[in-house]
Amino acid sequence: MDDLLAKFVPQFVELARSRVAVALSAAAQYDQAATTKVARDLHTLAGEAGLLGLKEVAPLARDCELKAKRLHASHTDAEVEGLVAALRQLAQLIEGIGAASTREGGSA
Amino acid sequence: MALANWGRFIVRAEIHSSSESVVSYGFDLTETSIFVVTEWHAAVGTPVSVRLSFPKILEPIDVPARIGDIRVAGEPGEPAGIGLVFDTTSSDVRGKLASLLERVNAPLTFTAVEDRPCRVLLVDDSWLIRDMFTYGTAKFFERPGALAIDHAEDAERAWGKLASSTYDLVIIDYFLPSEDGASLITRLRNDERLSHTPVVAISVGGRDAREATLSAGADVFVDKPLIFRDLFNTLRMLAEGREQARPAAERKAILVFDDSPFALALTRAALESAGFTVAIAGDLTSFERQRVSFDPDLILVDVQMPEAFGDDVASTLRGWHGVQVPILLVSSLDQSELARRAQRAQASGYICKGAGMPELVRRCRELLETTR
Repeated sequence: MDDLLAKFVPQFVELARSRVAVALSAAAQYDQAATTKVARDLHTLAGEAGLLGLKEVAPLARDCELKAKRLHASHTDAEVEGLVAALRQLAQLIEGIGAASTREGGSA
Repeated sequence: MALANWGRFIVRAEIHSSSESVVSYGFDLTETSIFVVTEWHAAVGTPVSVRLSFPKILEPIDVPARIGDIRVAGEPGEPAGIGLVFDTTSSDVRGKLASLLERVNAPLTFTAVEDRPCRVLLVDDSWLIRDMFTYGTAKFFERPGALAIDHAEDAERAWGKLASSTYDLVIIDYFLPSEDGASLITRLRNDERLSHTPVVAISVGGRDAREATLSAGADVFVDKPLIFRDLFNTLRMLAEGREQARPAAERKAILVFDDSPFALALTRAALESAGFTVAIAGDLTSFERQRVSFDPDLILVDVQMPEAFGDDVASTLRGWHGVQVPILLVSSLDQSELARRAQRAQASGYICKGAGMPELVRRCRELLETTR
């Protein structure tokens, strides 16, 4: 399983970075139409993190997904801010995993 | 009726003389000789060393030999080559050859209906060759389904099938439209997952095609017109060797349906490293095609996908198609929601993605063992 993680975690980090960046952009621009896809991408991200055993990422991604869905239903400033804050937290977490993965890869 | 004593199959043959090395293929193997297809020859009596091998069937055997006779090209199916006479003074070499011939001449041993077929992908744009394969397969293999031949007419379609399924052998024609067989073999050899798949290249192109495909990484090159009897005998050994080499529990086939390419790649890697045969599908069309052709023992279905909900897919498979194999819903939905959906869809169970890959593999193994 360690071999699989070594191979797939860096790929996950790349994908997750890109998804979170798109989600942040949609939320910051109040792009309500894009939130359906954002919610779906965050759901996918949560699943992928779960399969990799990234216990902190999966629930946070699910939380972001639910916030994105709520934002689609009722577009208020408070909900936008809530989603942006959660996404930033998620981005930070992903960067931490990326950095750890690079360190482990480098020391291997 | 047992189909025994064909006595012929195809092996990779590497001949090393004092001046030259030649890679080709041989057939008509006996305990004392083999015929090797090649344009190269030296004087009758010249001593050589020959290495005989075939991936997953025959571990390399190095046999000292001498050139016994030289044949010029004759009728189609009678290519030019040399007859090698083995020096079998070594009891080890004698034993290995005898054991190999015993396997070649043994009657077909497929008995259990539930055995997984040996899966072969034939990449050839000739419909006639494909029809001949299908016909020959049905005729040669007594038990239907012992060998499953899948077809692709060009490199791109082949690549699509190789990406989503697992094959025991790939047979690739050199002359393919738009991208030649050697290029496809190179791609396959450079792919981490596919690099060890046995490849037989075929062509009417003679030496040029042989050199191109072998240097690209084909295990064996066989000239057209194909001698189907030899090729099927080789495939039979491959299928039987596969049956002997892997315990029944590890041969189980799992079809994974998920719209996330990343989740598919990860799940497949984990399940394959656990010994399962895995096919993947990223959309409904691919899923339906794989379900019919791959004939899985277990189906894993993601729940929230753009085209359909996995529980609706499971429910339709059970209620409409009468699918009996276990179906597991896999999702990052909450456990209670997932349990409700699994029950309503008559799925065999569910797995939360958050439980992680080791748990997913464990559940698959458990389910397949209890439903064996």
